[in-house]
Amino acid sequence: MEQVTEPMKKQMKRRLLTAGLILAASVWIATVAAAYEAIRRFETTPGLPASAPRTWPAATAVTRTPGTWSLVMLVHPHCSCSRASVTELAEIVEKSRRDVQPTVLVYRPQGMAAGWERTSVYDAATRIRRARVLLDRDGVEARNFGGFTSGQTFLYDDKGRLRFAGGVTSLRGHAGLNSGRMDVIRIANERTGNGSHPVFGCAITTRGETR
Amino acid sequence: MNPTVAARAEELHQLQNDKRGVMVSRMFAVLLVVQYIACVSAAFAVSPYAWAGKERVLHMHVWVAILAGAGITILPLLLAIFRPAAPLTRHVIAASQMLSSALLIHLTGGRIETHFHVFGSLAFLAFYLDWKVIMTATVVVAADHFARGVFWPESVYGVTDPEWWRFLEHAGWVAFEDVFLIWSCIFGQRELRAAALRQAEVEQLTEMEQLKTAALEMALTEIRTATA
Repeated sequence: MEQVTEPMKKQMKRRLLTAGLILAASVWIATVAAAYEAIRRFETTPGLPASAPRTWPAATAVTRTPGTWSLVMLVHPHCSCSRASVTELAEIVEKSRRDVQPTVLVYRPQGMAAGWERTSVYDAATRIRRARVLLDRDGVEARNFGGFTSGQTFLYDDKGRLRFAGGVTSLRGHAGLNSGRMDVIRIANERTGNGSHPVFGCAITTRGETR
Repeated sequence: MNPTVAARAEELHQLQNDKRGVMVSRMFAVLLVVQYIACVSAAFAVSPYAWAGKERVLHMHVWVAILAGAGITILPLLLAIFRPAAPLTRHVIAASQMLSSALLIHLTGGRIETHFHVFGSLAFLAFYLDWKVIMTATVVVAADHFARGVFWPESVYGVTDPEWWRFLEHAGWVAFEDVFLIWSCIFGQRELRAAALRQAEVEQLTEMEQLKTAALEMALTEIRTATA
């Protein structure tokens, strides 16, 4: 039987280590590529767009102040991506004319524990200047407005005509400059044009749940 | 300069660099593990679940933090343990550190504050006193921004049609820090080299002194033997 000498042992150890490092390098490269693709797909896939009524929905319990524009956002309080939407809403309110009335409709399904909706997203919504924060029990208002996705924003003019429907973030959970936010501010301030933008967030209701 | 002293100075300089490399790589090994735990914790804290009405599932960010975080960490960790002084190790660590920054920024929803991780990491990488490591990190940051700017521009710039050069604006801030870090690396290496040369000269003088002392002792012994 061949005797295993010390140099042979060292060589075997070196080969084993090299193989281990090559394997780790392969895992490293594959992971980075897979993570990029997974994140890209997740972040860039929008939620269901709203089928919003062209005029202020008759069935809604949300009141419209005469002579003002209405900015409505649907929010799922536990959707982490919606923190970015609420941040953007605050930015829009700051940069829009004062006669734009913001309203945040916070989804609350039946049968959930008391205070279920009191999350950081809810708290952030309450801090938006001039904003009304209303509970949307079981997504009734989301259905009235034809929205499915948290972060869905509607801008209605003083005559109750829909001027913007869409999201106000560039991706899921990413606050910052984006064309949705810019469109809402432009339409609200210049009082001309219409707009839409993909909406990114968790589902509030599904198509099957619509009226 | 005496070639023996120069060779010894070079040897001492290399030893110093290796020692520093081992120390810094081990520091990064600990840091990488801490960052991994921080990434997973951040994912659980910021976005634990994705919701559909009242139904919830574990959020994709949690899986990305666990799997991608481990994938990014494993190679530099193994290299830092088994090849801490090798130049390849520090370059892999630099690339991984920047990828960890990108992951952490993503998991915290692109928070501006998390971007400080990039600048802190560059400063830590400068502990190697190797300017090429800083360049590797910078290339990874620039490549990440460039690739995302091409394939996924909203993730970096918020708009779908940014100017092609926008990645340079972001990388420019990294380059701004790089200038000072690279300068400090070159200056630090110069200092190390000078210290190594001084030590080599001292060693040679000590050796010469020892030889002189030995020769004197031998001569004294011979005189004593002759006079006895």
